[in-house]
Amino acid sequence: MTILITVIGTILFGLIAPVVGCLLAGLDRVISARMQGRVGPPVLQPYYDVRKLFEKESVAVNSVERTYVACALLFACVAGGVFFTGGNLLMCVFVITLSSLFFIMAAYSSRSPYAEVGAARETLQVMAYEPMVLLLAVGFYLAAGTFNVGDVLALDVPIIATIWLVFLGLLFILTIKLRKSPFDLSMSHHAHQEIVRGMTTEMSGPTLGLVEIMHWCENVLFLGWIGMFFVWGNPLSIILAVAVVLAVYFLEIWIDNNFARVKWQFMLKSAWAVALVAGGVNIAFLAFM
Amino acid sequence: MAFASKSPWVIHYDGSSCNGCDIEVLATLCPGFDGERFGVVNTGNPKHADIFLVTGSVNEQNIDVVREIYNQMVEPKVVVACGICACSGGIFHDCYNVIGGVDKAIPVDVYAPGCAVRPEALIDAIVKGVAVLDEKSQALKESKKRGE
Amino acid sequence: MALLGFLIVFPLVVAAVLLAVRGDGARNVIVGASAVIIGVASVVLVATNLGTPGVYFEFSSVVLDYVCTGVSVVLVGIVLSFAVRYKNLLAGVLALIQLAGALVLEFAFAHEVEVPIGLYFDSLSLLMAFIIGVIGGGICVYALGYMRDFQAHEPADAKDRRPLFFALMFVFLSAMYVIVFSNNMMWMFTGWEVTTVCSFLLIGYTKTDEAIANAFRQIVMNLAGGIGFLVALYVCAIQLETLSFVEFIMLGVADPALVGLAVVALAFAGITKAAQMPFQTWLLGAMVAPTPTSALLHSSTMVKAGVFLLVKLAPIMLMSPVPSMMVMLVGGITFLLCSFMAISQSNAKRVLAYSTIANLGLITACAGVGTPEAVWAAEFLILFHAIAKSLLFLCVGTAEHHIGSRDIESMDLLFDRMPRLARFMMLGIMCMFIAPFGMLVAKWATLVSFVDMDQVALVIILAFGSAATFMFWAKWLGKLAGIAGEPENVEVTVHKSEWASLLLMAALLVAACVTLPLISAFVVEPYVVSVYGILGQGITTDNLWIASICVAIVVIVLFAGMGGSKARKVDVYLAGVSRGSEERAFQNALSGTSVATARNWYMDDVFGEKRIAPVGVVFNSIIMAAAFVIAAVAPMVL
Repeated sequence: MTILITVIGTILFGLIAPVVGCLLAGLDRVISARMQGRVGPPVLQPYYDVRKLFEKESVAVNSVERTYVACALLFACVAGGVFFTGGNLLMCVFVITLSSLFFIMAAYSSRSPYAEVGAARETLQVMAYEPMVLLLAVGFYLAAGTFNVGDVLALDVPIIATIWLVFLGLLFILTIKLRKSPFDLSMSHHAHQEIVRGMTTEMSGPTLGLVEIMHWCENVLFLGWIGMFFVWGNPLSIILAVAVVLAVYFLEIWIDNNFARVKWQFMLKSAWAVALVAGGVNIAFLAFM
Repeated sequence: MAFASKSPWVIHYDGSSCNGCDIEVLATLCPGFDGERFGVVNTGNPKHADIFLVTGSVNEQNIDVVREIYNQMVEPKVVVACGICACSGGIFHDCYNVIGGVDKAIPVDVYAPGCAVRPEALIDAIVKGVAVLDEKSQALKESKKRGE
Repeated sequence: MALLGFLIVFPLVVAAVLLAVRGDGARNVIVGASAVIIGVASVVLVATNLGTPGVYFEFSSVVLDYVCTGVSVVLVGIVLSFAVRYKNLLAGVLALIQLAGALVLEFAFAHEVEVPIGLYFDSLSLLMAFIIGVIGGGICVYALGYMRDFQAHEPADAKDRRPLFFALMFVFLSAMYVIVFSNNMMWMFTGWEVTTVCSFLLIGYTKTDEAIANAFRQIVMNLAGGIGFLVALYVCAIQLETLSFVEFIMLGVADPALVGLAVVALAFAGITKAAQMPFQTWLLGAMVAPTPTSALLHSSTMVKAGVFLLVKLAPIMLMSPVPSMMVMLVGGITFLLCSFMAISQSNAKRVLAYSTIANLGLITACAGVGTPEAVWAAEFLILFHAIAKSLLFLCVGTAEHHIGSRDIESMDLLFDRMPRLARFMMLGIMCMFIAPFGMLVAKWATLVSFVDMDQVALVIILAFGSAATFMFWAKWLGKLAGIAGEPENVEVTVHKSEWASLLLMAALLVAACVTLPLISAFVVEPYVVSVYGILGQGITTDNLWIASICVAIVVIVLFAGMGGSKARKVDVYLAGVSRGSEERAFQNALSGTSVATARNWYMDDVFGEKRIAPVGVVFNSIIMAAAFVIAAVAPMVL
C-alpha cells in the first residue's frame, strides 16, 4: 500500500513541484533584482529559460551524462513523493542523497576540469550538510515519536516547539542545499564563477533543462522540510507553514544577495559546528530530559 | 512560438578591444540598463550561451579562440559584433597583426558600431539578434521534424 | 550434523591435497570443484534450515579435545619458529604465555567440565556459513587467476609457493566453520587461533621485510586478543563451571554481574580480531598480502569472526553496562575516525581497509547496544559488507594487474578502459555507501536502534561518520565515472575465473539488495526472535520494498541504460583553444601545449592519519583499560 501511495506521490510531485519551484525561482529573480535596484525579469523567466533549453540542439560530451542527470531528477521526485505523501523522513533524506550522487557522477563523467572541480566541491558540500540533515531526521523522530512525516498532522503542538534548535541548524545548511551564496561553491546562479559554471559546465541544452527542473524540485522539497516544523493537528496550520516557508525563502534570497562566497574550509567547519551544537544539544536534551 | 527570444543568454569575449566596449557591455548588464529585464544573463560559458558578444578586432593571436568559442556554442546561436573594432577592425585595422572584424573568423549576424558602443545600441543589437535567434530556432525545429 | 562435520572437515582434506599438488591444471580443477562443493553445501545447509530457531547436537569427544590441544601446540610452535627466525621477542613471549595458559586450562580445569552439546547452529551461524562458503569459496576461485598473474610478476627464480597459499585459504574456511558451529568454547578457541595463525602466514606470504613486519604486527595483536579469550575461558571453567557457549550466554543474561569479566575479555578478543582502534594497524598492514588474502580477511573471514563473537554476546551487553559501554564506544569511535582517515587515502586498498574497519566499528557498536533492532542491523551490516567488500577487493586486484597501479588517481577513465570491471566496481562502491542499497538500509536500522536507546553520542558519531563516508566513496566513484573518447580496452586479458568470481559477487549483491525483505524474514528475524523472544526491526517492510525497487532501477541504469544517447558528441570546454579534448590539452599563453590535470581532494591537513589516528588509539586504549579494571574490581567491591 505504502508503495502504491509513494508511486502516486512521486508522479504528482513530478508534475506539481516543477510548477511551484519554477514560480519560486522566478520570484527569487524578481526579488533579487529589486534588492539590487533593478526591475528584473518577468516572474515566468525561469520557465522561458527551460523551454528555450529544450529547444536547443541536443549535444553532449559523452553518452552517459544525460542518463545520470535523468536519474538524479527521477530520485529527486521519488524523495519528494516520499515526503509529501507523509512517508518516512529518513527514506526521503537517503533518496535525495542518491539524487545528489547521480548529479555528482554526471559532472565527473564529463571529465571537464571545471566540472570536476565543481563535482569535488559538491561532494564536500554534501559532506558539510549531511550530519545536520541526519540529525534533523533524528530530532524529528524524538519530537514526533515517528519518522513518518504524515504523523505531524496528529500532533497537539508543532514540532518547532521541541526542536527549534534543530530548525535553526536546518536554516543554516538550507543555504548550502539551495545553492545560495555564500555557500554556492560548486555551481552558482551568478555570473562570477571562477570555475566557469562548475558542475554544469558541460551540460547544455536539454540536459541543462533537466538540471534546472531538478533544482526546482529539490527546492520545493527542502522548503517542505521547513514547513514540516509548523504543521500540527490544526488544519489552519498549513497556512502558517506556507507563510513561514515564504519568509524563510525571502531570508535565503536576502542572504544570497548580501554575502560574498566563502572558502570551503569555512563552510565545512561552520556547517559541522552548527550541526554539532544545534543538532547535538537539541537531541541530547530530548533524549535525557 | 520560439522561446529563444525570451531568454537570450550571452557570452562576452574581449578580442583585442581597448576595454572601452567591454565596460559598456558590462554596463548593459548592470542595474542601470538592466539587461535581465529581457531575460539576458551573462553566462561565461559558451555551452550555455545563445548570443556571442565580441568586442575588439580579430588578430592572429585570438582568431582560434574566437572560432573555438563559436564552435562550442550550441545551435541556435547568434553573433553580435560590439563596437567598430569588432565590426571592421576600427582604428586598428592597419596594425601588423590585426586581421580585421569578427566576420573574418566567424559569421556575424548583427553589427553594433560605435567607439565605444553605447548600451542603448547594444540593447538594440541584442534585440535584433534575438529576432535572428528566433528564426534559427524555428529552422532548427523544422529540420528536427524532417529528420524524424 | 553430518553436513556441519562435512563443512569443517572437507576444506581440511582439500587443503592437504592442495599442499601436494604442484601442477596449475590440477590445482584449478581441485580448487574450482571444492569451492563449488563447499558453496553448495553451505547453501543447502541454509536452505534446508530456513527460519530455524537453533539446532543443538549432543556431541562430545575426548579425542577431539586432545586434537584441539594438539593443534594449539602446533600453532604455537609455528609462531615460535618464526619468532626465533626473525628475532621477534614479543610474539614469542605472547605465544608461550598462550601455550602455557592453554595447557594449564586444558589439563587442570577443562577436563572436569563436561560440554554435552558440542555443535550447534542457529540462524546467525547459517548467515555466517553462507558468507564463508559462498563468498569465501568465490574468493578461492578468483585467487586461481590472480595468483597465476602474481607469480608471473615475481622474479623468474622465485619459488612457487602457491600450494601453501591455497592450502592456507582452505584451512581458513574450515577454521571459520569451527568458530561458527562450535558450542564447546575450547573448540571455538582453537578455530580462533587457527585463523590468527593462518592470516599470519598469508600476510607474510611474500616474505619481504615489509610483509614480515606486518605479519608480526598482526600476530602480536591477535595473540593478545587470544589471551583475552583465554582469560574468559578460565573464568568460565572455574567460576561458572561451564564451557558451553549457549549456556554461558544464558547465564550471562540471567546474572550479568557474574560474567562481567568474561564478557569484557571476550569482547576484547573480538575487538582485536575485528581490528578496532587501537588495533587497526594490523588490518592496514595486511594490505601487503596478495589481494585474495585481503579479500578473504576483510570480507568473509577473520574480521567477521570478531564481530560474530560480539554479536553473539549482544544479549549480555543489553544487560551489562560495563562491557556494553566499552564495545559501543570503541566501535563508535573507530567508525568515526576511520571514516575520516579514509578521506585522506589515495591507495585504493587502504581506502577499502579503512572502510572495513569503520564498518566493523559500526557492527561492534550495534553489538554493544544489544537491542533486537541493533542485532538486526548488525547482521545485515555483516552480510552486505562481506559481499560488497569482496567484490571491491576483487575488482581492485584485477584492475591492479591490468593498469599497473592500485592508486585511485590511476583509475581515471577506468569506465573506458575496463568498462565491465568499472561497472562492477561502481556497483560495489554504491552498495557500500548510498541508499537504497543494503548497506545503507542496515545503517538506517542502526540509526533507529541508537536513537531508541537514547545513545546520543552514537547518533552524532553516525551522522558525522556517514557524511565522511559519502565523501571518500563519492570521489572514488567520480574518478571511475570519467569518460573521454575511446582509449584502448585492456580488460580482454582478464582470466575467466576472475570474471566468474566477480560476476558471482555482483549477482549476490544485487540479489541480496533486492530480496532484502525476504532475507530479513527468513534468516535475520528468526535469529533475533530466537534470542530475544521478540521481533525487533527498525524499518517497516514497505520501506524495505521501496528501497528494493530503487536498487533495481539503479542497477538497470548502470548496466543497461548507458550509451544509447543520440546527442551529437562535442569536446569539453577548456577556456581557450583546446588541442585534444581527450587528454585535456590546451594552448597556453606562450602558444605551447599544456595539459589540465585534476586530482581528487584528500585534505590531509584536516583528515590525515597523523592527526586522527593517535586520538582514537589513546581514547580506545583508555576505555578498554578502564573496562577491564572495573569488570575485575566490581565483583570484589560489591
